[in-house]
Amino acid sequence: MGQLVASKPTSQMVHGEVSDEVTQYLTFSVADERLAMSINAVKEIIETPQVTRVPMTPDYIRGVINLRGSVVPVIDLGARLGRGSLVLTKRSCIVLVEVQVGDDSHVLGMLVDEVKNILDIPPEDVKLPPEFGSEIRTDFIEAMGRVDDVFVIILSVDHVLSVQELAALRHFTEDTTLSNSSE
Amino acid sequence: MNLDSARQAFIEEVAELLQLMEDALLALEENPEDPESLNEVFRAMHTIKGTGGVFGYTPIVDFTHTVETLMDAVRSGRMALSKALIETLFECRDHTSALIDFIAADKTGTAPLSSELQRAGDALLARLGHAPVASPLPVAALNFDTPKSLPEANDLWMISLEFKRDALRNGMDPLSFLRYLGSLGELVHVATLFPIVSTASEHFDPESCYLSFGIAFRSDADKRTIAGVFEFADEDCEIRILEPDSAHHRYIELLETIPHEQVDCMGDLLVSIGALTPFELVRALKTQETAPQTIDSDGSTSKRRLGEILVEQGSIKPNVIEHAVKTQENVRAKRQEENRVIRVDAQRLGHLIDLVGELVTSSAAIRVMVKRAGIDNMTEVVDGVDYLVSEIRDNALQLRMVAIGESLSRFRRVVRDVSQELGKSIELIITGGETELDKTVVEKITDPLTHLIRNAVDHGIEMPAIRQAAGKLTTGTIHLNAYHDSGHIVIEINDDGAGLDAARIRAKAELKGLIKPEDVLTHEEILRLIFAPGLSTKDQATNLSGRGVGMDVVRRNIEALRGTVELESQFGIGTKITIILPLTLAIIEGFLVGAGRDQYVIPLSQVAECVEMNVNETRKHRGEHYINLRGEVLPFIRLTDLFENADSTRTVNQRESLVVVRFGHHKMGLVVDTLLGELQTVIKPLGKLFERLRGVAGATILGTGDIALILDVAELATIGHIHRHSISKQ
Repeated sequence: MGQLVASKPTSQMVHGEVSDEVTQYLTFSVADERLAMSINAVKEIIETPQVTRVPMTPDYIRGVINLRGSVVPVIDLGARLGRGSLVLTKRSCIVLVEVQVGDDSHVLGMLVDEVKNILDIPPEDVKLPPEFGSEIRTDFIEAMGRVDDVFVIILSVDHVLSVQELAALRHFTEDTTLSNSSE
Repeated sequence: MNLDSARQAFIEEVAELLQLMEDALLALEENPEDPESLNEVFRAMHTIKGTGGVFGYTPIVDFTHTVETLMDAVRSGRMALSKALIETLFECRDHTSALIDFIAADKTGTAPLSSELQRAGDALLARLGHAPVASPLPVAALNFDTPKSLPEANDLWMISLEFKRDALRNGMDPLSFLRYLGSLGELVHVATLFPIVSTASEHFDPESCYLSFGIAFRSDADKRTIAGVFEFADEDCEIRILEPDSAHHRYIELLETIPHEQVDCMGDLLVSIGALTPFELVRALKTQETAPQTIDSDGSTSKRRLGEILVEQGSIKPNVIEHAVKTQENVRAKRQEENRVIRVDAQRLGHLIDLVGELVTSSAAIRVMVKRAGIDNMTEVVDGVDYLVSEIRDNALQLRMVAIGESLSRFRRVVRDVSQELGKSIELIITGGETELDKTVVEKITDPLTHLIRNAVDHGIEMPAIRQAAGKLTTGTIHLNAYHDSGHIVIEINDDGAGLDAARIRAKAELKGLIKPEDVLTHEEILRLIFAPGLSTKDQATNLSGRGVGMDVVRRNIEALRGTVELESQFGIGTKITIILPLTLAIIEGFLVGAGRDQYVIPLSQVAECVEMNVNETRKHRGEHYINLRGEVLPFIRLTDLFENADSTRTVNQRESLVVVRFGHHKMGLVVDTLLGELQTVIKPLGKLFERLRGVAGATILGTGDIALILDVAELATIGHIHRHSISKQ
């Protein structure tokens, strides 16, 4: 589960290391926790349309949506971060993110409880993530950003939405599905 | 930009030519004398050289030029085509292909050739250059300079000179022409004809010329040069020059390779290949002009045909004319065909098909809207649009259909190479090459097919000695067959080799823990185990196949195309593998069903029938997953159970329907809540994330804007099987 999957970094992403330039971050909440991610990866934010469930997939795959004629997968960020599947509310949003898989780019949707705002966090306020003590998988955390003296977790999109990992885990869950059904 | 597209066209053209060359080489292996194939190889090299020159690809020009020259020697009989030479030509083909790949990869078009390629090319050229004398090709060396054992007379020009009476008076010296002729070649025999019996006759005029000569002449000069000797005698002499038979062959070959724009006039055509001198042509044209017009049976007038006049005039032999006429006809037919065919960029077609897909979705949306708004008088219009859209869809998809033959015939090379490497004798028979399917499917099926054919060659067909011992023909046969069957294409690979040893497969599977020794499996089920990951019965892995990673990958690839693969085999008799694929990956006819909270599409071509489920019966046998369908045992899967998406608002007493689906030779039932009818289904790929998801082949967008998943029936059956298995284990 804790296996790290190497994926190609998006060119403009900050990588654990502190960068020189001021980066803008999108903040949002998932299961009452405020999280952030670099705005460079964000393509679009939409209200939650009808999500079609895809059978026999792990719970962090919420389903697929029709985005102007294309079928786009949606990841339930609550389930992905181990906080349980999110319940849809009026404020629920899907953050569309472009991720690189090999030479191709794919658009994935990220279901969050609420989108807050866009923040400028100066480089000196971006700290390396703690090695332990976080409830979220450490490789999902890219850095910690200090905002008004409170630390906000900056997610590593490459790891949270690693297509290889998301797709590979299906095997594991298929087995559990089968054992569940045989009980 | 333009140069780029021209370059792309060049690269594609070369690929086609190289394919033709390969086919021709394979044909030559069977029959080294086949003039058609010799020409094909020559033409391929010649055309690549020419087009390569236009782009200034010197390495290609240099290389193909040498091969072309060699082929010219071969087809004119100056050099024999040995097995070793064919082998070298195969390598030359591959090298040319490598050169093209290099050019394709090199965007600037100016990079120097990599030293590796250069060396490989030089090595081949050295072999070709020494081919007639050097040791690598002893057979060719022996046969050199002894072309087909033609009788000597066939090599001679026949020249007839009939001087007119006034020739001497006009200052002609017949002897000087003969002397000059002698400088061009060898006068083998000169027959002097002297028609006047007696010089003493009072009619004899010493100043008149009575001489005629029949000359047998050996020379490499062409007809125009020879005719040039008598240029000054045109007025005073009847000249007929008949070329040697070997020259006829050359004319006929030239006729076959002549550029198409030159064939419009028969006369020009013959002059351009050197079979006719311009003077002879002018004379014949004059005759044609002055000849009385004949009246055809339908009343129209027509001139005498030039060919007839030429033959009568003795300028040319009838068989050359015959060939020239044939060439003219062929070219005209081909030109018409070219006018009917347009080359289109595959990307543009892809875009068109995408747009048609959107159109299909939009028209479904309109239908939904009209229905919702309850506008009755719109229905007719909507029906009309629907009809047109489905017509457009079919036509657009048809555009991308190509015959499978070309991609099947490349396996000739695979079979040839592999069987030679293994020392086996194998014949590959291909039938149904004209069967059409979507180009995108063709591209994706090549790899799995190659693997299956290699398997057949490597593991299937036995060594000749073993075959003989088993009472079979020493030459094994692999039969590739393709045909259409209910919206699918079926490709069969049939070999008469050793077949699969069910006992060994079983033993191996038990060893690998895929099955338990006590499991009861049918013959068919055991054979299917070879599609399981990590099972290979060949104890020794060869470099061709047999590393145990093969068949499961093949199955996966085929299933990724929404296809199925079936296997039949009898130990010692042979193996038959049947691949069933959809014709297209873009748009299919689907059948929409509702199960639980979701809607799903089943490919209509797989739906056999729909029946109502008897609620009481199924409830009674809740644990069992088969029903009695008109006396047949039909296993079924309840989609809501498998997908765990049962709609809680549904009561158990509501009726369910059973959709009977077929895949390959199997049938299965899918229990659904509602039947929603046929649907033109535009297949949207689910993308990388769902790459390993089984049972779902893709998604489609419904008229309402909702998404429905497309079910993969064959996969569902496999999953259902495991599912049931795990239940029955309780």
